Amino acid sequence: MRHLPFPVVCLGEMILLACGLSAGAAADEIQSIDFVKDVQPLLRTRCVSCHGPELSESGLRLDQKKRAFEGGDNGRIVVPGEPGKSRLLTIVSGDDDEIGLMPPDGEGTPLSAEEIGLLRTWIRQGANWPADAEPAAQVSHWAFQPVQRPSLPPVADPGWIESPIDAFVLAKLEDEGIAPSPPAPRATLIRRLFFDLLGLPPTPAQVDTYLNDQRPGAYRRLVERVLASPHYGERWGRHWLDLARYADSDGYEKDRPRPHAWRYRNWVINALNADMPYDRFSALQLAGDMVPDASIEDRVASGFHRNTLHNTEGGTDKEEDRVKKTVDRTNTMGTIWLGMTVGCAQCHSHKYDPLTQREYYQLYSFFNSIDEVDISAPLPLEQAQYEIAKAAYDEAHRPLTEKVNKYVQERLPQAQAAWEASSPQSSVVWRPLDPSNAVSRHGAELQKQDDLSLLAKGTNEVADVYTVDLLVESSQPLTGLRLEVLPDESLPKKGPGRADNGNFVLTSFRLLAAPAAAADDQSKPVEIPLQTAQADFAQNDWPVAAAINDNAEDGWAVSPQIGKRHVATFELVEPLPATEATRLTVVLDQHYAGGSHNLGRFRLSYTTTPGPHTLEGFPSQIADLLAMDLAERTPEQAKQVTDYFRTIDPELATLQKAVANHARQAPKASTVRAQAVVQTATPRDTRIHIRGDFLNKGEPVETRPPSVLHELQPRAERIDRLDLAGWLFADENPLMARVTVNRIWQRLFGTGIVETVDDFGTQSDPPSHPQLLDWLAGEFHRQGFHLKQIQRTIVLSNTYRQSSATRPELADRDPENRLLARQSRRRVEAEVIRDMALHVSGLLVNTLGGPSVRPPQPTEYSGLTYANSAKWSVSKGGDAYRRGLYTFFQRTSPYPMLMTFDSPDSTACCAERSLSNTPLQALTLWNDPVFFECAQSFGRRILVETAGCRDDDGGLRERARRAVKLSLGREASDGELQDVVALYQDQHRLLLADPAAAKSLIGKTKVPTDATVTELAAWTIVGRTLMNLDEFITKE
Amino acid sequence: MDRLSNAWQQSRRDFLTSSASGLGAAALTSLLAKEGVMAATVDHSNPLAPKLPPLPARAKQCIFILPAGAPSHLDLFDPKPKLRELHGEKPPESLVKNVRFAFVKKETAVLAGSAREFTRHGECGMELSDYLPHLGSCADDLCLIRSMHTDAFNHHPAQLMMTSGVPRFGRPSMGSWLTYGLGSEAESLPGYVVLTAGRGSSGGVSNWSSGFFPSTYEGVVFRSQGEPVLNLNNPPGVSAEMQQRGLATISKLNARRLEKLGDPEISSRISSYELAFRMQAAAPELIDLSDETEKTLDLYGVTRPEPKKHSYRGGGAHVYQQFATNCLLARRLIERGVRFVTLVHASWDHHSNLDEELGYNAGMADQPIAGLIKDLKQRGLLDTTLLVFAGEFGRTPLWENRGGNQKDKVGRDHHPFGFSVFLAGGGSKGGVVHGATDDIGWAPTKDPVHVNDLHATIMHLFGFDHMRFTHRFRGLNVRLTDQGGKVVSELLA
Repeated sequence: MRHLPFPVVCLGEMILLACGLSAGAAADEIQSIDFVKDVQPLLRTRCVSCHGPELSESGLRLDQKKRAFEGGDNGRIVVPGEPGKSRLLTIVSGDDDEIGLMPPDGEGTPLSAEEIGLLRTWIRQGANWPADAEPAAQVSHWAFQPVQRPSLPPVADPGWIESPIDAFVLAKLEDEGIAPSPPAPRATLIRRLFFDLLGLPPTPAQVDTYLNDQRPGAYRRLVERVLASPHYGERWGRHWLDLARYADSDGYEKDRPRPHAWRYRNWVINALNADMPYDRFSALQLAGDMVPDASIEDRVASGFHRNTLHNTEGGTDKEEDRVKKTVDRTNTMGTIWLGMTVGCAQCHSHKYDPLTQREYYQLYSFFNSIDEVDISAPLPLEQAQYEIAKAAYDEAHRPLTEKVNKYVQERLPQAQAAWEASSPQSSVVWRPLDPSNAVSRHGAELQKQDDLSLLAKGTNEVADVYTVDLLVESSQPLTGLRLEVLPDESLPKKGPGRADNGNFVLTSFRLLAAPAAAADDQSKPVEIPLQTAQADFAQNDWPVAAAINDNAEDGWAVSPQIGKRHVATFELVEPLPATEATRLTVVLDQHYAGGSHNLGRFRLSYTTTPGPHTLEGFPSQIADLLAMDLAERTPEQAKQVTDYFRTIDPELATLQKAVANHARQAPKASTVRAQAVVQTATPRDTRIHIRGDFLNKGEPVETRPPSVLHELQPRAERIDRLDLAGWLFADENPLMARVTVNRIWQRLFGTGIVETVDDFGTQSDPPSHPQLLDWLAGEFHRQGFHLKQIQRTIVLSNTYRQSSATRPELADRDPENRLLARQSRRRVEAEVIRDMALHVSGLLVNTLGGPSVRPPQPTEYSGLTYANSAKWSVSKGGDAYRRGLYTFFQRTSPYPMLMTFDSPDSTACCAERSLSNTPLQALTLWNDPVFFECAQSFGRRILVETAGCRDDDGGLRERARRAVKLSLGREASDGELQDVVALYQDQHRLLLADPAAAKSLIGKTKVPTDATVTELAAWTIVGRTLMNLDEFITKE
Repeated sequence: MDRLSNAWQQSRRDFLTSSASGLGAAALTSLLAKEGVMAATVDHSNPLAPKLPPLPARAKQCIFILPAGAPSHLDLFDPKPKLRELHGEKPPESLVKNVRFAFVKKETAVLAGSAREFTRHGECGMELSDYLPHLGSCADDLCLIRSMHTDAFNHHPAQLMMTSGVPRFGRPSMGSWLTYGLGSEAESLPGYVVLTAGRGSSGGVSNWSSGFFPSTYEGVVFRSQGEPVLNLNNPPGVSAEMQQRGLATISKLNARRLEKLGDPEISSRISSYELAFRMQAAAPELIDLSDETEKTLDLYGVTRPEPKKHSYRGGGAHVYQQFATNCLLARRLIERGVRFVTLVHASWDHHSNLDEELGYNAGMADQPIAGLIKDLKQRGLLDTTLLVFAGEFGRTPLWENRGGNQKDKVGRDHHPFGFSVFLAGGGSKGGVVHGATDDIGWAPTKDPVHVNDLHATIMHLFGFDHMRFTHRFRGLNVRLTDQGGKVVSELLA
């Protein structure tokens, strides 16, 4: 029964009605009610979270027969055989005046008429509640029992026992009267081991080394060599990334790239290669931000939580997205460390497993106070190199700065004294003029600023004229005027003009003067002619001289040097005496027809030095100080002079330049960043989300793990994620070790001891070998949670080393091979297929770690994303040939080859990939340009590695043998050699008839010396054929 | 282990006979898909082998048209004269109080009537907008649902809701469920094909994902030009003859390994390669329209001129031709036995410039879809082919006013509470208008149909009880209809 989540509108009256669907028919009275099937699930999902083991509201419990029939604080609610006296029915119908409707609003979905009918029928039929229907039965589920340390079972053939694992497996086989399979041939075994532990095939040389090692312990030595390879971290890292739902983009409509996501992947690879114990490996990912003295690496590990989807689509509710992420974090933790499908309890108490909805949100609460941050995260090696380089640089840099300091202390004072003695202030000095009045013809406001400049505000009409009055009094006659045009944040493009582009056009600049003391009527200002205009910059065809010519149409402008200060100076034709106070009037005409090109901010200054003038001159303030008697300068004034001198002293400048030059060689700190999380300062309030709806909040819950499992001992009052990590690895946890070793077993055998690797709940399949599972779990614990160690233990067993050949006699008895009478034979994963093709062809660029790369993919492919949002520019050089796990994973358009071979879509934790076998896979291996390029290189490699062979039968067989060895890692049979040679000859003949085809077939591949285009083309086809064999992409 | 062998034994016994066998068969397929678990005597080389459904079926094949971005029901399918009268008025406060919008600002929102004229069509008198004249001529074959509602109001989640039953990533799309349950009659083509036109959709490939099923059941994107399927063409220099002989050697060497190890997966691989090889011939033949008559091309509008202006959300240089071609290809795929065809066009997300944008899209879609229905009918395929036209949600009866700025009141926002979809053929009832929304097209007042109800009904038409067609995943028996869904019997012919 689904409720419409919205009101219905009846217009006209504009009344809104709440509306639900009409109630369904009552349950058929004739049917016989099965308590376990029909009634108990209702009680469990609707009632027990409040009337159960953890809360017994009103003293009522509906999870136990005795308590249910006793009733609660309000008395009996179930009277068998008498629905009319059973208050339970009136309560769930909402007809009870005292108690009202149960479950109450906010605590659960009310029962439907159908469900109430079921209860009524059950009561009428006598309210049968079988004794064995107690929920305690659930907790007796095997997976919640403590891990046992089983003793090894006796076997009839102890000679087969290489490891305790074998004892458990053999005992069961012997019970069934089945003999284990013989060991796989060495060539098969090394290939299996390489695929399982490294995800790469062995080279022919590695195969030969192992085949030729006749001393005892050859296999053990091989295992050690393989486990020491850095590619181990890539292989098992990829497995982990499946669980961690790693991707390089956000997902959803926008699907933005995550440029720093790879930094977390690097951490995973390195941690696994270092065989970091699994408890620490887990704790850092769950709570790396919270461990004491968290290092950068620890915080990078917390990026585990950042692999969730992230919705940036317009109109998305941010809180809803955060809740979705928190749910995903909770569920992912449940799958990885508990093997429980806790997510089922998001909307209602778990139907099958002992997890109530309340408990779900208690678990959720551990993750509810996460905030996302991106941090600076230099790679450890990068950081170390930087620190070394920085130390060397600092060492070289120090003497240069010391020289400067020494000069300043020891020689600068003399230099300054000598400089002062030379009367430097006799050069031109510009003194700012204080505007006493400033008007705009069209009403713009000219506001005086602290630096005596004027800033134009308000209206900005075409062709404004500014008139500025300035008072001046000087012992020396005035010889020049200076106009500075200044940038300002308030102006378009920061000015200095008011035009949209920040420019101005000064068409005319005029100076008038009158004695200030004279009465107004006698003081008609006199025009003072100007000459020799100069400026630091002028726009093409808009020179500053045009501001003092007779043409009103031209003028001074400064585009494109917008947003900066510019300077113009004008000489007075005759010096203007000003011993008496004099009023200067400057008229700035901006008669430009093309728009409102008026000045935005400007300042006027004068000088008394005879021309020619420099634009900048000597600062007036310093000039005044120098004019003072030395003894009269205050310390502040003395410092001003010294500071100024330091800016002009050439010797100091030389020394400082040396410092600056060297600083340019300073090593650059890393720009690598990482996605991480932090805990909010105050924890977020966590409440039950009724029916999983984040807007529909129920009761608050505390932070704690499910009650079916062991107690958590918090480190402090506030329980947090780090406590959770510790709790997961507590000795009493029956799940973590079992789930972990089972997952490892699944990777190595194709099927877990518990087949449902992500579900150990009551609905899971029972383990095929329960004692083996517990022995492995105990061993994992005893060995200190070292993943490599438990993997070593498993691969050294005879069970692992069995042949994978099918046994027809067991086809009916054990079709799924659950008895482990042989190894399994499975297609390898998408990434391994890619890696193998690149490896065999010699194209693989096998560098470890680093940012994600984009190998070639069909150009049309990313067009399927929203508005073509996922741009795919193919990586250059070697990055196009990296291992599959480094391929940029764009969630809405994942790399097609990976998806064709069942890579997970990385939207949620994936414990086991599906395995399909499709024609699109055939087309990919045949025709995908990446794979065909591999075939071309492989063809060439065959020829190069058999350079001495002649083109006769013997030579061709030798080449065919090499081709099979390179691709399948084993010797070819005679029949196979025959097939391969026949294929070669056939294709060679076809190609000889069509040289153009042969030429285009080899593409850009270089033909080896002593070989022909046709030969290379035919061997390319042979290589392509071998790389399309089932065996090529299968772990046997 | 018991579960498997039981299912296996039972499936063998009951296959095709009892009504429960469909479930057994589906479960079997899932088990078979796990490599390496089957006995050597079992031939499971083709997981797409055709299977019968457990219950009587009306539909055998499906064409699902996804107008991604969500078309306006108010301007195409659901006439609201009252809304026109109220044009420009403020909506009642109580209506918008507890509603979330993506972009509409509640404070300034006003009601917006449609500018479209609606007329009656066919004997049934179905009212459709003047943007859909060709579909109007099919009215008596259309089963129009005006009372749809959904759970999600952002595009990607809502598209997933429509295509896979839940507003989240990771579940199989409807086409995957049906090819998983029924296999495919097509011997040289994939069972589930996707054709796209216009820009990409918000959901991208997740709209035809196989979720937790193997990729065997994932939609395969066909393109109407060039290489129809990714990696279909041989590399340069490799002739068909060379390819065929290469395939022979692959089969021969695989057969040698099969003989030695007895793994049935190897024979499955051999079959996959053979199908791939057949596809290399069949797929180009599929998209080669030279055997279609001019009359047929005209019926679909394949050669009609493109509008001069095509710079729209749903536009592009040859989008009209592309969409019409896709509709024609859908028929050709159905003829060849393909189980499920998805046609995607994006985008119908008309937050602004509604009349012009929608006019362009409707002009693109109307004739080809009507042509497809008529063509299927005249070839006798409509009886067993279900056509579905369903966007992810509807659009608001309120003008969208981004940023509260009335100047931009020319579009409609996302609206999950009420919208329209239509079905044709495949056992759906023609000439029917099912359900109704209130006077402003806000929410259903009569016979509400949830997206999962639509799914349940579609499953019913294909001979599945949606409650029993399940797959065990992460401890749950998962079904297409998630937690809800009921068959809407009024939609059945």
